[in-house]
Amino acid sequence: MATNQEDKAIQAASETIVEETELGYQVFNAPDESVLHQHDTDRIPQFDVTQEMLDDAGEDPESWLMFGKNYEAHRYTTADVITPENVDGLELEYEMEVGANSSMEGSPVIVPGDPPVMYQTNGPSHVKAIDAREGEVLWSYTYPAPEDAVLCCDDNNRGVAVWEDKVYMTSLDSGVQALDRYTGEELWYTSTADYKEGYSATWAPIVYDGKLFTGSAGGEYGVRGFHCCIDAETGEELWRMHPCPEEEYIGDSIKQSGGTNWMSPTLDTERELLYFNVGNPSPDFNGTVRPGPNRNTCSTIAVDIHTGDVVWSHQESAHDIWDYDSAMQRMLIRDVEIDHLDYSGDIVYNAGKTSWSYTMHPDTGDLLVRGEPLTQQLNFMRQVPHVEEEREYVMLPGLLGGQDWQPASYSPETGLCYHKVLNTPHSVAWRNEEYRPGEKFWGGIVDVEPDEEDIPDEYNGHISCIAAVDPTTGQVKWRDWIDSDRYLWGGSMTTSTGLLFAGTQNGQLVAYDAEDGERRWEFDLSDKAVSGDPVSWYDPDTEKQYVAIQVGGSGFVGRGPRGDRLAVFSLAK
Amino acid sequence: MGETYKPRVTARDRERLAADLGTPEVSADGEATFADLRAAVAAGADPQFASMGAAIRADLRGQLDAERIDEALAGLDEQLRRAEEVREVGVPERVGKGDAGVPEAYRELIAPVWEAYDHLVEVGFFESLSSNLPAFTPEHIDGTARGLLTADALATDLADVGFDERERTALLMDVVNNDTRLSRWVPTADIPEGVEFNVDYVPPLYHRAVGGGLLWVKSLDRHLVQKEILLTEDVLDDAFWRAKAILGGVAVFLRAARDVASDEPEQTDEQLVAGLSGGAAITIVNQEELMREAYWLTEEKRAPTRAR
Repeated sequence: MATNQEDKAIQAASETIVEETELGYQVFNAPDESVLHQHDTDRIPQFDVTQEMLDDAGEDPESWLMFGKNYEAHRYTTADVITPENVDGLELEYEMEVGANSSMEGSPVIVPGDPPVMYQTNGPSHVKAIDAREGEVLWSYTYPAPEDAVLCCDDNNRGVAVWEDKVYMTSLDSGVQALDRYTGEELWYTSTADYKEGYSATWAPIVYDGKLFTGSAGGEYGVRGFHCCIDAETGEELWRMHPCPEEEYIGDSIKQSGGTNWMSPTLDTERELLYFNVGNPSPDFNGTVRPGPNRNTCSTIAVDIHTGDVVWSHQESAHDIWDYDSAMQRMLIRDVEIDHLDYSGDIVYNAGKTSWSYTMHPDTGDLLVRGEPLTQQLNFMRQVPHVEEEREYVMLPGLLGGQDWQPASYSPETGLCYHKVLNTPHSVAWRNEEYRPGEKFWGGIVDVEPDEEDIPDEYNGHISCIAAVDPTTGQVKWRDWIDSDRYLWGGSMTTSTGLLFAGTQNGQLVAYDAEDGERRWEFDLSDKAVSGDPVSWYDPDTEKQYVAIQVGGSGFVGRGPRGDRLAVFSLAK
Repeated sequence: MGETYKPRVTARDRERLAADLGTPEVSADGEATFADLRAAVAAGADPQFASMGAAIRADLRGQLDAERIDEALAGLDEQLRRAEEVREVGVPERVGKGDAGVPEAYRELIAPVWEAYDHLVEVGFFESLSSNLPAFTPEHIDGTARGLLTADALATDLADVGFDERERTALLMDVVNNDTRLSRWVPTADIPEGVEFNVDYVPPLYHRAVGGGLLWVKSLDRHLVQKEILLTEDVLDDAFWRAKAILGGVAVFLRAARDVASDEPEQTDEQLVAGLSGGAAITIVNQEELMREAYWLTEEKRAPTRAR
């Protein structure tokens, strides 16, 4: 087995540096060409990941086949070895240094088999196949991220999609790279936009019925967001939609409208709709140059999977001037009873940077429930002052939310949704600022560490929390405040046995009792923040349930030091 | 409902308005009414405004289709006369799934405007205004308010389509009392060197003002239907008034645009500038207030929930 130092692809990823420049974050020292290093690729069981497997992914305890576990994005495993009663026996099975000292925000994908194969990504655009049982790299691949790509918020890569014999990864230059999942060899690459205009890609795509769905990032760079559907076999683009419609913008403001879609969508296989998360308008803070509600920014949009037509949209922050993206991957929860509305049926659910949760009708987007705030809301939804006013406007939630991109989870057992949210005050002001394609375009200034005297007296001082919400009432059922000088980042996972797993910015992996929020188990992983999203699977050959999580800070946005670890825990039956 | 949607105009507001305009307290109780203010402000010649108005006419001579603007105005007037029917409905019932199932109520009010609006965009009307009109400085706003008072647009034309005395006073206050807010809407050409927006992507100020106002009204149907659980009668009142006020601003603006198109102008050059600037200013202030009052529905503002 080659070490990381001998693996050329891991070496290329680890030598790649991301630094803040005047333009934003930039990639340096990336390889000029893609690098593939193959190890024991014969160990990968050769069978198609079928559509049936993907359709049943939510119920399968032996796999984690897509970013959100199932198309409904519940992040819920039916593997049932680990329970509240025995979780204290959970032990570290193995850990790896994955190479790139990156933001580590992703969810590994687990294809079942003998052995199960993990596809793990980290920034910038690095993926590897791992024997999930032994923790050994089978092949690794580093995409040649261009050095003139600029990023607002780190070199994230949050995961892959798998389908048949392929694995798909978004690339920082706003493309999708298809690889042979047995060998790591390149099959096709499709560029979805010109990264020199500010576009990038950071999320895990999803695949359904031979169609791959991928979005756009770059809302801080004055781009116009889009989402496109690609033939998963050939890489041919099948349709493209823009969340922001031209007729809802004034003149050429549409060209820098923002409204990017920078996290994975959720799929409703019955209605054949995609539910998208949509980000902020551009520029972030000066709304006078983009008048109107800036339709579909900071929204959920429901899109026909065959045509890309928008069926409905629901906006959380009209004419947003606070950078309140709505990035959380939506959840589709079926057969819900909402007593006070006498409603019975499916719901689409998410929480936003506003700190509210939103329960929507899946056919209309009509708001059924708006939940109680997950965090404090102070100086909230008020006009952002111009810098000339010399008035400190410290608002809470700050720019990072509330609920930002962090993937939430749902438990059918408790009926609750679980969120990792930020209770951080930020100061903002707007000013006129020039936009040049490819450059940072905020239209204002931000202070993420406002002076103490400018922070509202009512601020409770808790920077973050993990909270459980009943989506039928919006009630916050329990909340665990977590304090640190870093931001709480990353996602969570529920189990059919009543546990909630979540990493913290203080380096711990915690297993909560999902019902009442009691901490049942904690493991100190590192002095680095845990910014990854836990995943789990059961291996029938070892009769163990595994839990994997990536460890590392999202060093820039999350304040924490970056890391490059993958930790895998296990518990035998 | 009914009278409840009316804008709040206090005695203190009227006093401030009179003070801002430099008019004496003309009514017996010390509260200047719109008619009092109009009577007290003499129509005076403002050479700068006159020059601007003449330049706009010269710039656009022969390019505007008076008939299209007339049709829009006639349609808008008709809609304004029946506007309260929309408030009486409150939140309309859905007629189907998705965005397509949202009934058109507010969108009907603005339906007559679009063709004329598109025409103004096509002929470069808004670019011309950018070339010939200054920023919303206190001086320009002062001149605009005086021009509005001496012209018929606010005093007579809007009265004819259902804006009562208090509403017209409120619209005048929107212009007079908001110079700082209006000055934030910077004309593209006035943006200082080094901090410019890309002029190719930022529309002209007057286009942003009028078009933005229309987009806010256009969005109301969907907003009200989707957010019904959050709405109170106060929010509905505010939403209706702000929408009506935006349409009032558009009507004032279009009347001035029609005068530019006319072979036999009815407005002086000063009044023309006042109509364009005043109409745009009204749309700016009221779209921001519509957003603040009816869209940003904080916990304090929302209807009590039955869920918890």
